[in-house]
Amino acid sequence: MLDCEIAVVGGGPAGLCAAAEASEWGAGVLLLDRDRMPGGQLVKQTHRFFGSEAQRAGTRGIDIAGILHDRLEASPSAAVWREADVVARYDDGVLGVERRGRWEKIRPQKLIFATGAAEKTLAVPGSDLPGVYGAGAVQTLMNVHGVRPGHRVLMVGAGNIGLIVSYQLLQAEIGVAAVVEATREVGGYWVHASKIRRLGVPILTGHTLLEVTGTDFVRGAVVAEIDENWKIQPGTRREIECDAVCLAVGLGPLGDLMWQCGCEMAWISELGGYVPRRNEEMETSVEGIYVAGDAAGIEEASAAMMEGRLAGLAAAHALGYVPPHQFTRIRSEIASELYHLRSGPTGDVTRRGLAALRGAPVRRQVLVEEGEPC
Amino acid sequence: MGEFPDTASIVIVGGGITGCALAYELAVLGVEDVLVCERDYLTAGSTGRCGAGIRQQWGLEMNIRLSRASCRILETLPEHLDYPRGIEFKQGGYLILAYAEKQLEQFRKNVARQNELGVPSRVLSPREAMDIVPHLSAEGLLGATFCHEDGHANPFHTTHAYALAARRAGVRFALDTRVTDIEVRGDRVVGVETSRGYVATPLVFNAAGSHSAEIGAMAGVDLPVYTERHQILATEPVGRMLDPMVVSFSHHIYCQQVPHGSFLMGRGDPDEPRGINNESSWLFLERMARSVATIMPPLADLRVVRQWSGGYNVSPDSQPILGDVPGLEGYWMAVGFSGHGFMVAPMAVRVLAQTIAGSDPEMDIGALNLGRFERGELLLEPNVV
Ligand SMILES: Cc1cc2nc3c(=O)[nH]c(=O)nc-3n(C[C@H](O)[C@H](O)[C@H](O)COP(=O)(O)OP(=O)(O)OC[C@H]3O[C@@H](n4cnc5c(N)ncnc54)[C@H](O)[C@@H]3O)c2cc1C
Ligand SMILES: Cc1cc2nc3c(=O)[nH]c(=O)nc-3n(C[C@H](O)[C@H](O)[C@H](O)COP(=O)(O)OP(=O)(O)OC[C@H]3O[C@@H](n4cnc5c(N)ncnc54)[C@H](O)[C@@H]3O)c2cc1C
Repeated sequence: MLDCEIAVVGGGPAGLCAAAEASEWGAGVLLLDRDRMPGGQLVKQTHRFFGSEAQRAGTRGIDIAGILHDRLEASPSAAVWREADVVARYDDGVLGVERRGRWEKIRPQKLIFATGAAEKTLAVPGSDLPGVYGAGAVQTLMNVHGVRPGHRVLMVGAGNIGLIVSYQLLQAEIGVAAVVEATREVGGYWVHASKIRRLGVPILTGHTLLEVTGTDFVRGAVVAEIDENWKIQPGTRREIECDAVCLAVGLGPLGDLMWQCGCEMAWISELGGYVPRRNEEMETSVEGIYVAGDAAGIEEASAAMMEGRLAGLAAAHALGYVPPHQFTRIRSEIASELYHLRSGPTGDVTRRGLAALRGAPVRRQVLVEEGEPC
Repeated sequence: MGEFPDTASIVIVGGGITGCALAYELAVLGVEDVLVCERDYLTAGSTGRCGAGIRQQWGLEMNIRLSRASCRILETLPEHLDYPRGIEFKQGGYLILAYAEKQLEQFRKNVARQNELGVPSRVLSPREAMDIVPHLSAEGLLGATFCHEDGHANPFHTTHAYALAARRAGVRFALDTRVTDIEVRGDRVVGVETSRGYVATPLVFNAAGSHSAEIGAMAGVDLPVYTERHQILATEPVGRMLDPMVVSFSHHIYCQQVPHGSFLMGRGDPDEPRGINNESSWLFLERMARSVATIMPPLADLRVVRQWSGGYNVSPDSQPILGDVPGLEGYWMAVGFSGHGFMVAPMAVRVLAQTIAGSDPEMDIGALNLGRFERGELLLEPNVV
């Protein structure tokens, strides 16, 4: 059993920033990530970042990961465990960790969840065939492992992720048959959409995926037009030839461990699914447990970094490492940065989501039932 | 289920194997207006958390007879209930290991009694046990008992098979509906209060598993049962390694491989405090891993994919309490299954349904009624994990 002051679960931008912030104040921090290389989603992001200038927009994701990681390495009170998968949090506060095939236990005083998100999928006939991928998985295959996912890919979803991954497929000389998008408009930035349109890829708005065909692997996909009410228009079914289907239909926050902790969770569709209720310091309803990044609601890397800093600062403060006046000042600095980040039109969904979270009904997993009479 | 009813001929509290099987058995006997109230969802209690082993190798006559008859029922249940998906009843046997002379002595007596009652169990030498399970360690093993008819079924399919058949026969199921009180007037039950309203009924049936004492107290019935957490885990699926369920009372464990390849294993903790607690602990994980690796060393390499826990509702003699309550009309129960309710419930509730419906019961289960504790007729079941 290893005791530590702060454990940070997840080493994406949120976790890296949380760990760096807390350890720079002197708190003992252990960062755990299940991957070989910390950085989370950033590791596979070879594109220059969209988002806030102050948060390094224009820099490639993978380089940001390196910068953040170096900052953490420089801190004497921080340690990083790679290939360390946090598999459980028990009611005595102990974390169960599978680390390189071994079982380890950690007992932290404060806990920060920065577990990021999982890709959503679509349940259509054939969607379990080999060759149907999440967009993030395709990015990992290509950009981390150098593996082509197929020769001709159908992309489902025209948000930023669908558009960026389509462009990266084209850069790797993989054909993109089309981008299918259910809504009437492209959700991602126009710059990304124009780039792939110029390369001749059709973006089929108002269309949906009905079926993936093939027996052993993907042979094609059936799409059709839908109306405003998502009703399929008769006579518009058509088959598109492809050997891979890439689903970029959104991300869902990874909250399993927070459910295990008994955190109050609420379903907020604007934030991608179940997220924990928290205060302005990113502390959940369970004292000493904080959240940051996509695990707190799907957003962007810039927001993840700021939330991470906030959570790291608050956890270090709770342990007595941050003088009160400095804490108040830095906390409001980060809060105002977050406010500005979210104040533009692209922050609209997040703003609505956060507002909804404040008033939403919560669910909590109740495991220990009271009132047992014997 | 449409409108929540305000009357019922019988209200069953609990939608586990007991409540669902009982509902079905009542309905086929022509009892109408049966209502099952389940505070959560079907199988939310111990049934959905259990090891679902089915064995006839018990020490006491009633446990042997009930489990034997239930085993017969389960063998043909899918056809009987018209449930084409099947209940995954795998009869790979139960191998019960002996690690002490005294234990082996007791096992011999058990097997003699089992054989008298028609159970084809036998005593094995360590060598014979290892022929059945080649992965067994010989260390300390003195012998074993084995019955090839024993096995394991899928508790979700089994319960849903009963529930669907019951629904087709007219039973109403109210899920997410908690019974909060029982109204007794004079010496009879007249209704139940639920989270969805009051239901007038002349008969309430306590099938509330871990919560049975609570449902007893609602009608002023003091049930001599307590609930104790038991933990269990599942591993990744691997190729066929193990046919029977392997049990060691010395190590407090049971372990089996289910049809799709996962191992399911559980361990009783002698120091477990009483009370309802469905949390999991890391200590269990470590102790379970150590115990099972002592008995079957190759299992040490398996990866665990899940762990969970549930309650044993334990009675003073580790046998269920079945029947009504003297002096209180309209209160029935099947509780205190002491960790083997899945395998004895099918027959137990069939007999109870027959008694309630006024037809001839197939078996005399009078020895298991509540009165036995006052009569002091306690025989302790030796074969429990
Ligand atoms: C294709 C794509 C393109 C994007 N492009 C941009 C962009 O241009 N600009 C922008 O701002 N944002 C972009 N984003 C979004 C951005 O990547 C995410 O918002 C950001 O990475 C979230 O950071 P995070 O730290 O919360 O989570 P993640 O980066 O997802 O990191 C979570 C980490 O936690 C680890 N983890 C999870 N569970 C456990 C566990 N139980 N035990 C141990 N470790 C665990 C994971 O392995 C992972 O390393 C993009 C996202 C995608 C998918
Ligand atoms: C880890 C473990 C392993 C086990 N292994 C085996 C095994 O191998 N073989 C075997 O035969 N047995 C085994 N058992 C025991 C077996 O699970 C139980 O004996 C059996 O499932 C009891 O079924 P039941 O329907 O009586 O109770 P339950 O399945 O507990 O059902 C009771 C139901 O009542 C509901 N309820 C409670 N209070 C209320 C209320 N106020 N209002 C409405 N509904 C209410 C609950 O939500 C629950 O669904 C095991 C148990 C555990 C925990």
